Amino acid sequence: MNKLLKSSLAALLAVSLFGCTNTSSTPSEEKKEEKTEEKTEETTTNDGEFKIAVVTDVGQLMDKGFNQGTYEGAQAYADANGIPMKYYQPANGGDATDNDRIDAMKQAIENGAEIIVTPGFLQATALEAVAKEYPDVKFVFVDGWAMGYDNITAIVYKEQESGYLAGYAAVMEGYTKLGFTGGGGGSNPAVNRFGYGFVQGADAAAKEKGVDVEVKYSYKYGETFSASTELQTQIAGWYADGTEVVFSCGGSMFQSVLSAAAEYEDARIIGVDVDQSGESSKVITSAVKGLSASVEQVLGQYYDGKWDAELANVAQNLGAAENATGLPEDTWSLTNFSLDDYKALLGKIANGEVTPDANVPDDANNGDWLTNFEKVKVVFE
Amino acid sequence: MVFILQKTLIFTIPLLIVALAGMFAERSGIINIALDGIMIFGAFIGAVVALFLRTNVSFFVDHNQLLFITCMIAAALAGALFSLLLSFSAIKFNANQTIGGTALNLLAPAIALFLIKVFTSKDQLEMGMAYDTLGGRHDFSYVITNGELPDILKIFFDKMYISTYVCIILFIILSIFIYKTKTGLRIRSCGENPQAADSVGINVYKMRYLGTSISGALAGLGGYVYIATVANGTASGAVAGMGFLALAIMIFGNWHPVGIAFGALMFGFLKCLSVVYSQFEFTKNLGLPMYFYNIIPYLAVLIVLAFSAGKSRAPKAEGIPYDKGSR
Repeated sequence: MNKLLKSSLAALLAVSLFGCTNTSSTPSEEKKEEKTEEKTEETTTNDGEFKIAVVTDVGQLMDKGFNQGTYEGAQAYADANGIPMKYYQPANGGDATDNDRIDAMKQAIENGAEIIVTPGFLQATALEAVAKEYPDVKFVFVDGWAMGYDNITAIVYKEQESGYLAGYAAVMEGYTKLGFTGGGGGSNPAVNRFGYGFVQGADAAAKEKGVDVEVKYSYKYGETFSASTELQTQIAGWYADGTEVVFSCGGSMFQSVLSAAAEYEDARIIGVDVDQSGESSKVITSAVKGLSASVEQVLGQYYDGKWDAELANVAQNLGAAENATGLPEDTWSLTNFSLDDYKALLGKIANGEVTPDANVPDDANNGDWLTNFEKVKVVFE
Repeated sequence: MVFILQKTLIFTIPLLIVALAGMFAERSGIINIALDGIMIFGAFIGAVVALFLRTNVSFFVDHNQLLFITCMIAAALAGALFSLLLSFSAIKFNANQTIGGTALNLLAPAIALFLIKVFTSKDQLEMGMAYDTLGGRHDFSYVITNGELPDILKIFFDKMYISTYVCIILFIILSIFIYKTKTGLRIRSCGENPQAADSVGINVYKMRYLGTSISGALAGLGGYVYIATVANGTASGAVAGMGFLALAIMIFGNWHPVGIAFGALMFGFLKCLSVVYSQFEFTKNLGLPMYFYNIIPYLAVLIVLAFSAGKSRAPKAEGIPYDKGSR
């Protein structure tokens, strides 16, 4: 019996060892064993068909950020126009594969979807497969690109502009020790643009003020944009080491940064994608992109019958000029860098006077590409 | 340095209390492999209670530490109730305890995740902003800060959680309980030789229920302490294998509180190091990949167990359903 116990214990330990090392960025190994069926929920009850669908990639729907912003845009349009909509989260949560996403999209189509909003660049493969098979269904590829299909339209944002504004504002506000933690393990172009812009903005402000700025920069945890013990401890370490503001760039990762910040009175956070100041008093600003507005707009264009003329196989690249990037103005809390200063800078970005570089490498998970700054020292972790 | 010691202590506490939980069950003769599952369940219930009280009773937003203690109690109760599934099947129906425990380990995350997804459309239960009685907005945090102390005191009193003290006190009280009281002796005797215990009039079934329930309560408590202090205050249907780690620490500690305390400290340190290694010049300059540090605690478990297995002295009757007839 004892032998049996020991061997079974060893087996369990091995399983947990495998789980823990393999998914260091996912706090929940058990999630894998959880064959979570795609979760569906009706927002507008209707015994007919759900004509608008939102299918997420890996992050959870209510991430207070990217997915939620997209969803809210679709929901706003659906509610305003009385069109039934439904969202779908692919099976297996953070470990969802292309097949899971394909299944989710197909289920959406079976339920009557005629336009599917798919946020996240990870959708590409699944999207291509499904779009080919169902040429009559329209797809909105948020954070994506034109893929050569007339039934796909892409919306992509100039995240570097929001990041730039956030970095600039933080340094102008008087912070000199910044942090950036990004999701997606360095392979998510939107996150990388946010980060690159952030550092550039900090550098520009540092040059202007004549101060030296240090930016701790990491993709280490949050590969699937989820909160984790590791991330929390890492960020707590940054704050302990003197970091003043951390740019939390990735949906649910915010929770980890917030928990770390709670232990340090002076710790501050910069949110991402949507205005996250409602989540905590520690959020000084958020690098936002106009997810809701642009999704709503695209849905409007589709239902006005302008798909073929304006959207088919088109990638819209939205930035400050289109009012799609920036910092939230309604909840402005910075004092040394005023709202007027911000608007002036935003205007310069919008008219092209200041153009943050968006040229990020495909695999950004190293410090090599973050070296050419005059006043900013990037400490890559 | 202060930082890593603070974090070590915070990582150690849940391991310590959950390893003690394992000890209580095994000393009474029930193998509690379900520690991980009970932790998850306790954490989930604790988080549900916290969320409910924070959003509905502003008194608790004013009194954060009271909220924490209430949630710890709720988690402990939930853990004890959940562990009854194990003790009931193992004691009443003489079921195989390893299999019963594994079932609980599979059940707990499933229940937690299912309910979280159904009610919040999220993968995890998060604590948001709440309003106190005066209408002020408060972030969720249980931390107690004392930034003015000298370094040595900071380790214990700055950025600290009340759970740390609660757990240490509980650990001491329960260690004394199992070694110095009559009931403690009875529990231990049921794990060593239940037939002999029965022959002198000890109710073996009752003692085993007691041992397992204490175990469940401690594991549930440990689960909530874990998520409240190190895992973002969110319940996500997982505790990163802490329950299994605690089980290993219990074996490493030879089913004895002192050994357990030592083991928990060691693994707490290693687990902490695996995350904060990049903060130190020395470890940073070694240039080893982060996965190496992530592996260390688990590798250490395997190595330590391999070496200490020969010397380990498990309770003799653990895992064997008590059969009155075989006396």
